[in-house]
Amino acid sequence: MVSAIIGRLSQAFLLLLVMSVIGFIGIHSVGNPVFNLVNAETATPEDIRRATVALGLDQPVWHQYFRFIGNVFTGNFGTSYIYHLPAFQLVMGKLPATLELAIVAMMIAAPAGVLLGLLAGRRKDKPVDRTILRLSVIALSIPSFWLSMMLILIGAILTGWFPSGGRGPTGVFLGTEWSFLTLDGLRQLTLPALALALPNVALIARLTRSGTIEVETQDFTRFCQAKGLSPRRILFRHTLPNISVPIVTIIGMQFGGMLAFAVVVESIFNWPGVGKLLIDSIQLLDRPVVMATLTFISIAFVALNALVDLFYVVLDPRTRRSA
Amino acid sequence: MKTDTMRIFWKRSGRSGVSLPLLILMAYVLLAVAASLIAPQNPYDPLQIYAWEASSSPGTAGSGGYTYLLGTDGLGRDIFSTVLYGLRISLFVAFTSTALAALIGVTAGVTAAYTGKWGDALIMRIVDLQLSLPTILVALIAIVTLGPGIDRIILALVIVQWATYARVTRGVAMSEAAKSYLDAARLLRLPTRRIIFRHLLPNSIAPAITLVPIELGHAVALEATLSFLGLGVPIDKPSLGSAVANGFQYLLTGQYWISLFPGLALFGLIASINFVGENVRRRLDPRSR
Repeated sequence: MVSAIIGRLSQAFLLLLVMSVIGFIGIHSVGNPVFNLVNAETATPEDIRRATVALGLDQPVWHQYFRFIGNVFTGNFGTSYIYHLPAFQLVMGKLPATLELAIVAMMIAAPAGVLLGLLAGRRKDKPVDRTILRLSVIALSIPSFWLSMMLILIGAILTGWFPSGGRGPTGVFLGTEWSFLTLDGLRQLTLPALALALPNVALIARLTRSGTIEVETQDFTRFCQAKGLSPRRILFRHTLPNISVPIVTIIGMQFGGMLAFAVVVESIFNWPGVGKLLIDSIQLLDRPVVMATLTFISIAFVALNALVDLFYVVLDPRTRRSA
Repeated sequence: MKTDTMRIFWKRSGRSGVSLPLLILMAYVLLAVAASLIAPQNPYDPLQIYAWEASSSPGTAGSGGYTYLLGTDGLGRDIFSTVLYGLRISLFVAFTSTALAALIGVTAGVTAAYTGKWGDALIMRIVDLQLSLPTILVALIAIVTLGPGIDRIILALVIVQWATYARVTRGVAMSEAAKSYLDAARLLRLPTRRIIFRHLLPNSIAPAITLVPIELGHAVALEATLSFLGLGVPIDKPSLGSAVANGFQYLLTGQYWISLFPGLALFGLIASINFVGENVRRRLDPRSR
């Protein structure tokens, strides 16, 4: 058990280390950030040299990498070339907005997906099942950026029900600003959350459907039927708990995926979160912020996956013995 | 009456292997190949573009002697032509990257399974690493590293996709490698390369083939997403994704057609690929019969 946990953690750690090397090399090969500090046309060689030293870019690459790694452990990713704020602080400042968006989207996607999946699985090969399956393929085929734009077109421009972008007024809770505390904030949240939720509804529904079909053919459900339990009770008290492990896995993984996909949705809805920060920073060659953001999303994703693995133990007694 | 013919069509086509989604997909490919013959305008040729007719609504008569069926974009390019030419780029990128990824992934998977030991361990750790991160994140990291351009985006998509093929193929190849016909091949002292590519590979390739349509759909969507974010194909030769992006700023002022129609074409393309993939998977999966 302990060795399993240590193995899992060292695996996660190794993953992050390799990620950081790739990411560091990657960022290093894109553009010269010196020209963010000095004007490329008017700068003298002396200006450029001073800016290079100030950014630490005169050091050898591995030197820069080790300094970077050392800084990561202390939460110090350097100072943003654009905002002149610590990069890590910048990412953390944008985090509540992204987290809020992803949580609301998952609160829409998980119940809707599970219900649709149970419904389809119960009625395998019936019209309901086929309709849900076809709709899920269609939902998974809509590119998320186009879905976002069409939501803006329908929900904001044609009907005027919702605002087309931005975050709007926020309320303060635990010292952080949140949109869901104000009515206007909730309206701002609706469209981006829907855009993020829809593909996940389809994914969760498909997984729940196949799980339901598999469980429904097993002996214990037949026994429940023979005992005369109502189909609803069988579905929610016996089938659902038995397919909860894969559902929790996909919810955990998709939540991490949402943090990554928020890049697209946030840029379109002008939602001031981590994803928009990443795209803006890539375009502005703001190296420390790109590094901090990519590192943060990766760590969050790896940590979420590890958490999901540990959560199995709570949900599925069988994994306790085998671990 | 109409529904009856449709139903018969669905059933018949189901048996012969040709389905409605496959027909649509073939039509897409045909349109992309014949783009320069069908499109009234070459959107990459500035001489054929009338800048003063920018953002014309669908159905406007143009100075070139043809009607702007789907309107024009902010630079005066005919949307219908842009969609056809964009389709060409989107399909080219998707097909090339999927083919390369399948080739590399299958080869890596078979080789890893047959050689075993540290080569296997190394390849599979890289695969694990990649598959444990969301594809969009891997794609973003790759494209930030590689920079923009069509060749770079193909490379980025190959980097994203090869791992799936490698994992699937290795699984099958491991069980195939233990079978007696491979012992026989080894006892005949056939060269390792020959054993891998002439005996092991043909017997382990089936699951990778069912992956192809699914991954093709992913490739189209991913390329479009990266291009939309301005990290993909260059803006002067738009793919469907960058064509949608071009229309984004006009959407807010009500010129919906600039992004609506390329997006619809993109959506139809991905949906038809995904339905084809679903049919392939269902046909090859004995459980779902």
